[in-house]
Amino acid sequence: MAKKKLRLTVNGHRIEKDVEESMRLLDVLREELFLTGTKEGCGIGECGACTVVLDGKAVNSCMVLALSADGGIVETVEGLGSRSKLHPVQEAFLDHHALQCGFCTPGMLMSAKALLDENSNPSEEEIKEAISGNLCRCTGYVQIVDAIKDAAGRRNNLG
Amino acid sequence: MSRIEITINGNRWAGEPEAGETLMDFLRDRLHLTGTKCGCRTGNCGACKVLLDGKAVNSCTLLVKNLDGRSIVTIEGLAQGDNLHPVQHAFIETGAIQCGFCTPGMVVQSVALLQTNPRPSEEEIVAALGDNLCRCTGYVKIIQAIQRAAGLLQGDSSGQTAEGIGAAVPVIDAVSKVTGRLKYLNDLHMPGMVYGKILYSPHAHARIRSIDAGQALALPGVLAVATCFNTPQTKYNSALRFERHTIPADETIFAPVVRFVGDRVAAVAATTAKIAAQALALIKVDYELLPAVFDPEEALQPEAPEIKPGGNLVGEIKAEAGNPEEGLAASDLVFTDKFYTPRPSPLALEPHACIASYESDGQLTVWSTTQNIFGYRVILSEIFSLPQHKVRVIKPPVGGAFGGKLEMTIEPVAAALSQFCRRPVKIELTRAETFFATRTRHATVVEIKTGVRKDGTLLAQDIKVIANTGAYTSSAFNVIGAMSDKAFKQYRIPNLRYSGLPVVTNTPVAGAMRGYGSPQLVLAREVHLDRIARALKLDPVELRRRNLVRPGDVNPRNGESLGNCRPLDCLELAAKQFGWEEWQAPSLPAHKKRGIGVAVGLHGNGVYPAHADITTVTMKLNEDGTGIIYTGSQDLGQGLTTIILQIASDTLGMRLEDWSLIDADTALVPWDLGTYASRGTWVGGQAVRGCAEIIAERLKAKAGQLLNIAPEELSLSEGQIKGPSGESLRLRDVVWKMQQEDGQELIASYTQNSLFNPVSYGANFAEVEVDTEQKTVKVLRMAVAYDVGKAINPLMVEGQIEGGVQMGIGYALSEDVKLDETGRVSNASLKKYKTPKAVDMPKLDVMIVDNVEQHGKLGGKSIGECATVPVAPAIVNAVVHALGKDIDIFPIDLNVVLGQGE
Repeated sequence: MAKKKLRLTVNGHRIEKDVEESMRLLDVLREELFLTGTKEGCGIGECGACTVVLDGKAVNSCMVLALSADGGIVETVEGLGSRSKLHPVQEAFLDHHALQCGFCTPGMLMSAKALLDENSNPSEEEIKEAISGNLCRCTGYVQIVDAIKDAAGRRNNLG
Repeated sequence: MSRIEITINGNRWAGEPEAGETLMDFLRDRLHLTGTKCGCRTGNCGACKVLLDGKAVNSCTLLVKNLDGRSIVTIEGLAQGDNLHPVQHAFIETGAIQCGFCTPGMVVQSVALLQTNPRPSEEEIVAALGDNLCRCTGYVKIIQAIQRAAGLLQGDSSGQTAEGIGAAVPVIDAVSKVTGRLKYLNDLHMPGMVYGKILYSPHAHARIRSIDAGQALALPGVLAVATCFNTPQTKYNSALRFERHTIPADETIFAPVVRFVGDRVAAVAATTAKIAAQALALIKVDYELLPAVFDPEEALQPEAPEIKPGGNLVGEIKAEAGNPEEGLAASDLVFTDKFYTPRPSPLALEPHACIASYESDGQLTVWSTTQNIFGYRVILSEIFSLPQHKVRVIKPPVGGAFGGKLEMTIEPVAAALSQFCRRPVKIELTRAETFFATRTRHATVVEIKTGVRKDGTLLAQDIKVIANTGAYTSSAFNVIGAMSDKAFKQYRIPNLRYSGLPVVTNTPVAGAMRGYGSPQLVLAREVHLDRIARALKLDPVELRRRNLVRPGDVNPRNGESLGNCRPLDCLELAAKQFGWEEWQAPSLPAHKKRGIGVAVGLHGNGVYPAHADITTVTMKLNEDGTGIIYTGSQDLGQGLTTIILQIASDTLGMRLEDWSLIDADTALVPWDLGTYASRGTWVGGQAVRGCAEIIAERLKAKAGQLLNIAPEELSLSEGQIKGPSGESLRLRDVVWKMQQEDGQELIASYTQNSLFNPVSYGANFAEVEVDTEQKTVKVLRMAVAYDVGKAINPLMVEGQIEGGVQMGIGYALSEDVKLDETGRVSNASLKKYKTPKAVDMPKLDVMIVDNVEQHGKLGGKSIGECATVPVAPAIVNAVVHALGKDIDIFPIDLNVVLGQGE
């Protein structure tokens, strides 16, 4: 299989890799860069567990051919917050008990982050719309929606 | 690179090899055929042998690019599923497998031999094993295995049945070992794993002014550089055994003042080991050189360079019984000698390795080739300020240890690198690194003064030992303390003084090695005793006969019993088998001299009364009648797991195959002091017995209820609980009823707190031939007998003894980590170091004095360390006998003994 050069910026680091044409962005993240925080729940874009932010938009990384993202800027759950300080969305998820098994959480967080980056004060409907592509089987979504709402407030309070 | 095609185990592989890619790396890293082992990477150990077009070759010395069109069979290609090759069967049946690390190479070599020579003589077998090293078995059972395989290939039948205590059972993981399927540490791979390499000091003593890692960090693939400037400077002692163990802490992960050539200066983590090695060369270190001292006697002089604040003497260990001055004054004759013992390397065939991984929940997990999991946990938790529950130490299968994996070396380096790059970091030492960057046995200077009556009765002895502990304190107090203790348990000497002075020098660090103080003491004392015998015109056997301890004796220092100690039985049995009294020198050419020698050795069973000597075992039975044992006891290849399962099976009337074992993982198993001090069977084995007895009681209580029979009338055998008149219940039914009807789990824990430390003994006889022209010593034959109480597994006891003989031959004749004038190890390779090979082994008669030790639950005593203790002095005494010349410096160098001109 032919390999081609892929250039990406992932969580602020510039990456150059020779990758096979058939590789998905998800594969590059998990298998080449060992960023296993991004989860695969279906492989066909139906569950949202693999959601990452690509050039500011939440996307299912299982549906993106890696080479089609060449030159792009990718944010994954590993890039949220820092080693010593969590991102406000992460803090809000903890405070609202918005995660149980944790498998949908990385995707939920990235969808929420993309939403809040674009809309600093979303309505409940807008939040539900933003995570409509993210399935959760544990929580019933109530605490997730509360968490995102709270996170918006926290970010706005930070000024 | 051009494309090549090769066949591997019948499968075709086509592709482009990398520049410089060896066949071994290709098999292990690219094809994940990790059965082929790496013991040296220089073609000197044979662990990596594969069949190349039917011929056994070292795969580490072949480049893949040169193998176009060739056919390769690895260890994985010999067995077809569960159908083993006859050679593999033979290795298992004969007990030729201990740690298993040399086994794939040995099996491959044997297959190649038998293909060309179906009925090889013993000499031909030994010749075929010329470059295959084994450090466990002493080659004896490997040679037997090849003879057996020859028979199997010609149609002999195989078979093996007995399993319980006293049965000669091969190690339980023998099939995994003989097929190359067992995963040792270097065979493990973690997701995202990167590789660490260590930069060592080229100076024997220097202060580091600064380190510039800029260029190293700029190299693509480099993830982190760790030095003394960015890692914890917590001082620790690498030999720590338990929380609040009070031994001097003087080592750090990286030293700001390096104390020997080989001290750790920095380390690099990179995506490949090759890049990490390249990066080391880019680190610039500014050293301020300091004066160095290598000799322990010089290091004690007032003008010697000060290595540690307060002077180079680490401390003084004193022990005394009676009144040595009065005893010497009352003696007819007083003898004084001074001996120099060497600095051998434990040299397990598997080099040291570890993987450290900092995980997102703040837990540090370390996989290590260690024999001290809970000790490492304490040290790592202190260095990295982590609570103990956040440090997990796991020992995968280990390819031999011999004490050399007791003290912590590379683990905190990997942990520091993992903390920086948040990836699992693997460090694999090269063979050369294991010689200078791990541990050696302490070199010692032993002064010994003995007062005797004319009839040979020992009245008094004064022993002064200066021990070179190397650059750090490490095991100094422990080893010298253990040595002091043994001095009082060998001969009836009413007035005895021992004084031990461990000294730091600018040399590689000394530590634990098989025997732990006994080899040095016994080598000096036994050679000294032969000089006394000669002066008194007394047979050396008779001198020992008159003075050895006997059953019922007590330690004169503290009045404690020596247990059922039977060195005299060993002496008499081995002397008879050897033909000591009948021996006459054959007539030989003038340059060939024959001689015979005797020595008695000893070692302990655990660490009582020095420390709390504890192993806890948890055991549960499943509702189908199988069981699981949880233990901290660490199998290092010596077969401890097998012993544990034999004891459990014997107690509960189960089969070995009914058990699985969860072992050596600080997160999963109850606490254990560590696998060293010959405590594995004595303490760990008794813990298993105690735990199984609790399970047996509960089974009998329940079965008694069900059968309406008093529990004490019930017995356990064949997976059943049986009554006196043929009543029986299956274990699985009783356990199921306890679970489903009583709501009870059949699980128990038991702590063995060892409050007695018996002594194991061995008597060795050796015949040697010295060639004064070639300046060589050949050990022709040995008869050796050991007092092990009850032999729980005679096959494994023999294996320990044969391996101990091999190591003792090295101690007498060749093994010494040597330094050049700058303090650098000058023989850090298998080729230069010279560990005994198959051809160096004598004809060996092994005898076991099977006489129960009443103080233990099992009647058995240790053998692993004791095995090697009497070997070297018996050989030295034989060489002295052959040459008629005294020898004070070991290992024996005939150029020195005979003079260059002779």
